Amino acid sequence: MIMEQPKSQYINPYLAGVLLGLVLIMAIFIAGRGLGASGAFKDLATVTVSAVAPEHAAESTFWGPILSGETHPLKSWLSIEVLGVLIGGLLSGILSGRMKFKVERGPRVKAGTRLGFALLGGMLFGIGAQLGRGCTSGAALSGMAVMSTGGIITMMTIFGSGYAVAYFFRRLWI
Amino acid sequence: MGPLIPQGIIGMEWDLVFALLIGIAFGYVLESAGFSSSRKLAGVFYGYDFTVLRVFFTAGVTAMIGVFAMNYLGWIDMSLVYVNPTFLWPAIVGGVVMGFGFVLGGYCPGTSVTAAAIGKIDAMVFLIGIFLGITLYGEAFPLIEEFSVSGNLGRLFIFDFLGISAGWFAFLLIAIALIAFGVTAMIEERVNPENGLADTKGTSYFLPVTIALVVGVVLIFTPFKSITSLKEVDKQQLQDEILAGTHYVHPDEVAFKLLNDYHPATLVDVRSRADAAEFSLPGSVNIPIEQITRKQWRNVLSPKGEKVILYSNGIALAQKAWIVARRMGYENIYVMEGGLNGLFDIMENNTMPNSLKMEAEFAYRFRDRAKKVFREGALEAKKAEPSPKIDFSETAAARGGC
Repeated sequence: MIMEQPKSQYINPYLAGVLLGLVLIMAIFIAGRGLGASGAFKDLATVTVSAVAPEHAAESTFWGPILSGETHPLKSWLSIEVLGVLIGGLLSGILSGRMKFKVERGPRVKAGTRLGFALLGGMLFGIGAQLGRGCTSGAALSGMAVMSTGGIITMMTIFGSGYAVAYFFRRLWI
Repeated sequence: MGPLIPQGIIGMEWDLVFALLIGIAFGYVLESAGFSSSRKLAGVFYGYDFTVLRVFFTAGVTAMIGVFAMNYLGWIDMSLVYVNPTFLWPAIVGGVVMGFGFVLGGYCPGTSVTAAAIGKIDAMVFLIGIFLGITLYGEAFPLIEEFSVSGNLGRLFIFDFLGISAGWFAFLLIAIALIAFGVTAMIEERVNPENGLADTKGTSYFLPVTIALVVGVVLIFTPFKSITSLKEVDKQQLQDEILAGTHYVHPDEVAFKLLNDYHPATLVDVRSRADAAEFSLPGSVNIPIEQITRKQWRNVLSPKGEKVILYSNGIALAQKAWIVARRMGYENIYVMEGGLNGLFDIMENNTMPNSLKMEAEFAYRFRDRAKKVFREGALEAKKAEPSPKIDFSETAAARGGC
């Protein structure tokens, strides 16, 4: 566990921040857009709903527009970018020897409980990202880079509400 | 010059190649910064590990400085960069819901992908959760559709929202970030005395902090061109111009231009393609108002030494287009007074002046001639396809002056 490491196994966070900032600058300079993550899952959900109930999906005002686009949802910029994130994470994990199947959890919480809350947390993130038009990467981080009002508001409310509710869920983490 | 792909400097076929490469770099940095660990991420909310804040804020500030610099150097046209649209209420509620999700789940979507990549089972479950959440949202969308588009403020920059200059905002953000880094380092040391600051110890931050502050101060005095790389006109100056009405061109001048082809003016029809297909003044260029910011029209809208006259049916649409064009820094832009309706009214209701004033007499004769031309030409050919080269036989003789 991280807590028991005498020396950090991770790179300096400020350096990581500068590197991440440079990646974001490249994305903006080359593709004219920021980074993202949740959008890829929207594409995946669209394809799944469409596979299960094609007519229903095509008629939906939510799924329909994504399906009627020129490119297949899974060939969208964000889908491919998130595939890259998976590969990048894997590369870093392999090179630093961090590959390991495990359920990461706080010291006082059972694995089952942790997974239940992970599912719930994921669902909330999925829902919130639709309303906020992006998640921590697409709305908050990329929004800050291009100084978008909506992105910065979303960033402040993500962290604001996180701090507001953290106390009530402290058993999960500390 | 940038962004490279939207500008067509790099072909569209490379779009996805770069998407993959940028994704790989993104995932690699996230994982090596420790974002693949939910306990490390959740630490930001409990004070034992502020890695998230450090990486996140540094990345945001770095990228913002980069965007600023590229904008200043003319490397990037902000009108081609995606700026997250602002829907006020959904942005707030969505953020609150995501904050909950962060504390409960311990990840955000991007970080959970890298965590799942290295075998974190909780991250894989979190990913399933995201998928289910979006599916649920999509199915419930008819119920929330109205709310999801409420408080629409469009493409709104934060500095405009706050009413300060972009440079000042950049400086403030840098200052807030530096203060936050200092304060959270103190908190972390107190909450987690044994392992806190494990990733940041043993480095001197004097130089980076100084550089960040200097950059911040420089940015205060750096202009930020938020619409295009053309020079942006001051709002006050624009308002003065509107009030003075100096941007109007009398329909007679337009008629004159139509009759005498050498008259230096470019006519721009800002109505929709469909309207323009129905009828458009001869020789005019159709730029539907929503396209006016596009770079492709730059040459049309900034001819050397020529007036550019915008027109629509009335004046409302042309007026709007004029404001946008002026804000983009185009000069020599005018609006045809009264619009097409005004032009036709003047031609149709042309009455012989009672007075013997020379000027009125000239105006009458001119309009009479223009009316005849219109009758034989464009005015009667409303259904005809507009062609930039409708030949006015009567004016052919006057063409030599070109």
